[in-house]
Amino acid sequence: MSELVQIEGAPRPKSDPREVMRIAINLVAVCALSGVVLGGAFLGTERVARAARLDGERRAISGMLALPPGARVLEVSQYLVPARGEVVYVAGEYGNESAAPRRIVFSLAGELRPEAPAAPEKELTPLGRTFVASVDGAPAGFVVEGESRGYKKRIRFFVALDSAFVVRGVRVIEHEEDPGLGAEIATPWFQAQYVGRSAEQTTALDVTKDPMPEDWRAALDALAGEGADAWRTKHAPLLEREHARPVYAVTGATISSRALTRGVRTAVDHFRRRWGLVAPHLGEPS
Amino acid sequence: MSTAERPPGARALILNGIFAENPVFRLALSLCPAVAVTTTIANGLLLGVAVLAVQVLSSVTVALVRGAIHPRVRIPVYTIIIAVWVSAIDMALAAFMPALYAQVGLYVKLIVAFAIIISRLEAFASRQPLVPAFWDGVGMGLGFLLALVVIGALRELLGAGALMGLKLFPVKPLLFFALPAGGFFSIALLMAFFNHLEHRRGGKPSSGGGAHG
Repeated sequence: MSELVQIEGAPRPKSDPREVMRIAINLVAVCALSGVVLGGAFLGTERVARAARLDGERRAISGMLALPPGARVLEVSQYLVPARGEVVYVAGEYGNESAAPRRIVFSLAGELRPEAPAAPEKELTPLGRTFVASVDGAPAGFVVEGESRGYKKRIRFFVALDSAFVVRGVRVIEHEEDPGLGAEIATPWFQAQYVGRSAEQTTALDVTKDPMPEDWRAALDALAGEGADAWRTKHAPLLEREHARPVYAVTGATISSRALTRGVRTAVDHFRRRWGLVAPHLGEPS
Repeated sequence: MSTAERPPGARALILNGIFAENPVFRLALSLCPAVAVTTTIANGLLLGVAVLAVQVLSSVTVALVRGAIHPRVRIPVYTIIIAVWVSAIDMALAAFMPALYAQVGLYVKLIVAFAIIISRLEAFASRQPLVPAFWDGVGMGLGFLLALVVIGALRELLGAGALMGLKLFPVKPLLFFALPAGGFFSIALLMAFFNHLEHRRGGKPSSGGGAHG
């Protein structure tokens, strides 16, 4: 049959051009109004949301590096200027927007360009931030921000490293993985799998679908209550065994587990290679 | 419900949403989120408040613009209206309650697809003037909120031995109730209880269980 079956008594749908126009205008008006409401909501919440985000980041940084209240945190933002072949570092005290930031410009080959004029804001492609902590002038570790493509959207995370680039903590800051599946990568036990791995182990890190041994799971659950240093001493033999093995994926969420692991691997690798270049110019203990 | 009927008053509409047509226990709508977030009272409360706000705002919006919406595209328009209010509330929660938002933020976005909200828009708000639509939204939202809180209380008490994060027992009496399967059992038990109440008040028992989001 070439014709659709008509329900008895129902009028045949007509495609009247004026009707189609009315529907189109209707939908356009609804979308325009929606845009106005959403824009208003964004403007009304943006400042508070930024402050809340900053607060969350600050707590993640002090928590992972176990910083005392008087610690200083330097925020170093890295940018790429593709048109000029430059990498720009902008360093300033974290959370203090009134202080003038310091700019350090490198060529892509890694040569310092002290005389380079500041590139306009819109040419800067952000490549992530690094937080450099110090207590009374002594270095207290780093937190490297990283991003990775997750199952749905980007996963943004922090990796905390000590001065020898050993992982002190991993914290997922922003993600939209599925609740109960991919979202498990943001749980303390999953993130604890990275803690204590050396830079060499981290930059070669892989993911396995093997089931996690029960003694390892119990140890990972204990990290939150014990503090990273005490935990690493207490479970030393277990950590030695497990750090020679890959990260255990969340059951049913291998993609999310791989995404975070790949992100951590890349972030640590990049940071390790470029830190020696930047550190002498920051005027900070390195 | 036809437009010819005189709309019921505020009190009747609110009680209807909480008891006679409780979205979770009587209409058996939106059971998925009701199971997913109700492991504690606090989670249930926050999602309930978000649903209440979205339901009221969407019902009011639809009641206000119902004359202007072309009937052939009414469902897409309802969906856009719900999505707008969900996004606005999502932004507000992320800004003003970041700690709680970190726990249930993922579920707040899912409110767009909650069957209860769009079904109230189609069944009630699109056929009624502003005031009854507002009270129906309040009633349905409160009914959903109370259902989530009651389920959350039962599961937190039995699963974690606590209420509002406050430890009542030194042990976890029935850990099973904190798991997803325990959520279904909690809803079933409470649904039976609500049916019993309605039966004693002379109403019909819930037809129960549809495969609705």
